[in-house]
Amino acid sequence: MSTTTEAAEPASTVDLPESTGGGITTFDITLKVRRYIPEFSDEARWDEWTITMQGTDRVLDALHKVKWELDGSLSFRRSCAHGVCGSDAMRINGRNRLACKTLLKDLDTSEPITVEPIKGLPVEKDLIVDMEPFFQSYREIMPFMIANSPAPSAERYQSPEDRERFDDTTKCILCAACTSSCPVFWTDGQYFGPAAIVNAHRFIFDSRDDAGDMRLEVLNDKEGVWRCRTTFNCTDACPRGIEVTKAIQEVKTAILTRAA
Amino acid sequence: MSTTNTPAAFPATSLEAPRSGRIDPKYLRSKTSSGSFEMAAWVFMRLSGIALVVLIFVHLWVNLMSGGGIAQIDFGFVAGKWANPVWQFWDLVMLWLAMLHGANGMRTIINDYAEKDSTRLWLKTILVLGAAIIVVLGTLVIFTFEPCMLDAAGEQLPRAVCPS
Amino acid sequence: MQVHKYDVVIVGAGGAGMRAAIESGQRAHTAVLTKIYPTRSHTGAAQGGMCAALANVEEDNWEWHTFDTVKGGDYLVDQDAAEVMAKEAIDAVLDLEKMGLPFNRTPEGKIDQRRFGGHTRDHGKAAVRRACYAADRTGHMILQTLYQNCVKHNVEFYNEFYVLDLLTVDEEVTDEDGTTRTEKRTAGVVSYDLASGEIHVFQAKSVVFATGGVGKIFKTTSNAHTLTGDGMALAYRAGLPLEDMEFVQFHPTGLAGLGILLSEAARGEGGILRNADGERFMERYAPTIKDLAPRDIVARSMANEVREGRGCGPKKDYVLLDLTHLEPEHIDAKLPDITEFARTYLGVEPYTEPVPVFPTCHYAMGGVPTTIDSEVLQDNDTRVPGLFAAGEVACVSVHGSNRLGTNSLLDINVFGKRAGIAAAEYAADADFVELPEDPTRGVEAMLSTVRDGDGGERVAAIRAELQETMDANMQVFRSETTIKEALGIIENLRERYKKVQIQDKGKRFNLDLLEAVELGFLLDLAEVMTVAALHREESRGGHFREDFPDRDDENFMLHSMLYKDPEAVTEGTQGIRFETKPVVFTRYEPMERKY
Repeated sequence: MSTTTEAAEPASTVDLPESTGGGITTFDITLKVRRYIPEFSDEARWDEWTITMQGTDRVLDALHKVKWELDGSLSFRRSCAHGVCGSDAMRINGRNRLACKTLLKDLDTSEPITVEPIKGLPVEKDLIVDMEPFFQSYREIMPFMIANSPAPSAERYQSPEDRERFDDTTKCILCAACTSSCPVFWTDGQYFGPAAIVNAHRFIFDSRDDAGDMRLEVLNDKEGVWRCRTTFNCTDACPRGIEVTKAIQEVKTAILTRAA
Repeated sequence: MSTTNTPAAFPATSLEAPRSGRIDPKYLRSKTSSGSFEMAAWVFMRLSGIALVVLIFVHLWVNLMSGGGIAQIDFGFVAGKWANPVWQFWDLVMLWLAMLHGANGMRTIINDYAEKDSTRLWLKTILVLGAAIIVVLGTLVIFTFEPCMLDAAGEQLPRAVCPS
Repeated sequence: MQVHKYDVVIVGAGGAGMRAAIESGQRAHTAVLTKIYPTRSHTGAAQGGMCAALANVEEDNWEWHTFDTVKGGDYLVDQDAAEVMAKEAIDAVLDLEKMGLPFNRTPEGKIDQRRFGGHTRDHGKAAVRRACYAADRTGHMILQTLYQNCVKHNVEFYNEFYVLDLLTVDEEVTDEDGTTRTEKRTAGVVSYDLASGEIHVFQAKSVVFATGGVGKIFKTTSNAHTLTGDGMALAYRAGLPLEDMEFVQFHPTGLAGLGILLSEAARGEGGILRNADGERFMERYAPTIKDLAPRDIVARSMANEVREGRGCGPKKDYVLLDLTHLEPEHIDAKLPDITEFARTYLGVEPYTEPVPVFPTCHYAMGGVPTTIDSEVLQDNDTRVPGLFAAGEVACVSVHGSNRLGTNSLLDINVFGKRAGIAAAEYAADADFVELPEDPTRGVEAMLSTVRDGDGGERVAAIRAELQETMDANMQVFRSETTIKEALGIIENLRERYKKVQIQDKGKRFNLDLLEAVELGFLLDLAEVMTVAALHREESRGGHFREDFPDRDDENFMLHSMLYKDPEAVTEGTQGIRFETKPVVFTRYEPMERKY
């Protein structure tokens, strides 16, 4: 039967704690954004705005406030605004994060909050970078299931343990926060990068997949997993909490055990 | 209301559209030169690292701690050690592993920090030459070491070990 | 201007668009045009699951699923379509599994299933485990799996290409009885490359619209910033009807004040709703299935609790979702993401504290009318040759007046697949239609009006007012007074929109311009939505009229069809023509909807 544990029927009425949710505070912040508009100038510049924000606001809300009320030319990508689409990875106070998951009150608001595009990919305008090289690496690791056995009429079976084996790396939203936090990637952009390896990991350790060997071969490249220096920048940067460096190490081990 | 990026502010140059050339060539990887060299290098670094810990710490202990301690080290001490094939072999292994380990580490650093292929090539050439010279010279010294050194007058140097 | 030629052009790369692309890409020369990168689509935000009567954990069959869908939609569902969806649900889930989707598993290795609102065994006897899921990231897994398979099949994506016009030509058609009439036929689409600001024309035999919903019409919404009803508005402007636009679903459990979605799976796994007195109030509103009643009922019950003064918090404006009686390990295993949302955005620890929630705009049941083969209709029964639609943009109608949880992930997979196959098959036999003369004229005029406008009206200000009035007047409770108030404000905003001015005058990534265009779409659709709501003088599913609190099958068991027509006047609004379309019945007679 199902793994769901049956909870006892909850009480009809309970006593609630006194206060749930407090009042909303407002505060002033200074937002300092790295601007680059190639139609206007080849040089990037810093723009600063001081704005009043609320306690529940995120960096994305501050960027929106500027765009909607002060300077409509400020350009950045965003979509879902709650950390599941991966559009708005940027460097906030020197760290790669999603603007929609970074609450202003968690940052030091006494100093200007700096926002820059993620590093290592060509900047196209303001906070927008060219994502094509990133997706090219992703495509090269064959990020799709390849099963040699003919498909059964119903589903392929997989034990909960086998499913759990690659759970962590299924969480990736391809926001590029990890790859663009990696110093090895910054140098020349040749390294496959953590995100591609994470997505390879997701299939290599999927018991239903039969092409793990091919992916290991791809990542055995001189720009593959061996360029990882385990600086853990990627693990720190991942907005989904994926243990990226660990996944890379597991792929290295898999290549070695295959060779042995 | 203010307007930024007005057409007047734009220079008349036309920009190439982003992505019109697909992927920036800087990011294209050269033909996959897999082999398993990088893997072998990676494994070598780990294994040689472990071996070097043993080799170096035994070396340090024998030289600095055991017997008469640091005061005992002199020409004669070295001569005495290298009279023994075990220590000759020990130091030879230590030399080779340390040089290869160090040189490969430097190679990695060059790969990580040099941005242009030509810079990389130059730095690596210097590195390989340097490492090769040191390894060759060191090996020669270990095997051609002459414990009984005489000065120009044919007198035995102080602390030289000559068969009496 | 650049012209591209493809057999099939798919507009939108969310779940429906990519599901269609996988089918069509293997059969015909296909391009996918998308205004954001495919993996940014809002399918990825869906959490709870995808229902199919696999009967992996308990007895179930697709007929029960059909019944639940019909009843959940308050009988405004086209029953033939619901049958197709429930029947093909099983294959849709299995297809995804074979594509590699990592579902949660039962101990014996089968796809695990869980309970979900409105899904019952044997026509309402008790809740049933029907939702196949991958933790609370089912939508994320579906989106990733579909994108992965698009990569596998080398689907051609035009990323950040914003489609701004649907090109149609009027053709003379002679019917069998010898009468002639004019009929619209698809020629292609016009799109704007965000990166360069250039206009590209795509000539295509088949066009598939899969552009998603229109949630940004409301202030409190679980929808992405990019969901601005583009496809619906393009079809509407091209003279095609929009069906059942008055029906908008409000998801009961949005994070209070933010609208961020907390999946119904939270209640499926045992979470319950409480008011300020700590009372589990759903016991009063739906005695049988309580907190797992369909979304419209739960949302209304919550809003009613707040209205009657039993709301929580300093402003008494929300209720609580209580998970504290569940084991923390169980919450971590089944609901990891949504508990993180509560922690990140509200600073609430769901293990020990109840989470503040309030209904949030979630889904548009209405949209572009289609047949069960995803062909778009230009009136009640004439197809538009070469035009297809699937997903939230379409109205098949499988959701009627209220969609059941999980049925949207099902909808995109079942009808996305059907649209992809139908579009490719149509293209195999059809010829290219000659493009109209100067195909980019409309788009260029629209863009230059916005770009060169100097009336001083700000996009953000107009949009904020629109969203506020929609939240205030068109949410879970509506009445003639509130709807008319909304309509008045919308008309005023439409006037102000003519004087809109943007600041960014550049070509590269001009997202200022994009937002202005999107606002135009939102305003059009808001007008259609309110007019349709005003006309429907009854309460059904997601549409609740306080002045007409009962369902009125005699007068309103009909789909609304609204057309753009400068000559016509509907409910005092110039420019909209109102018609109706009968509901398709197969086996279920309308009954009172009780849970």
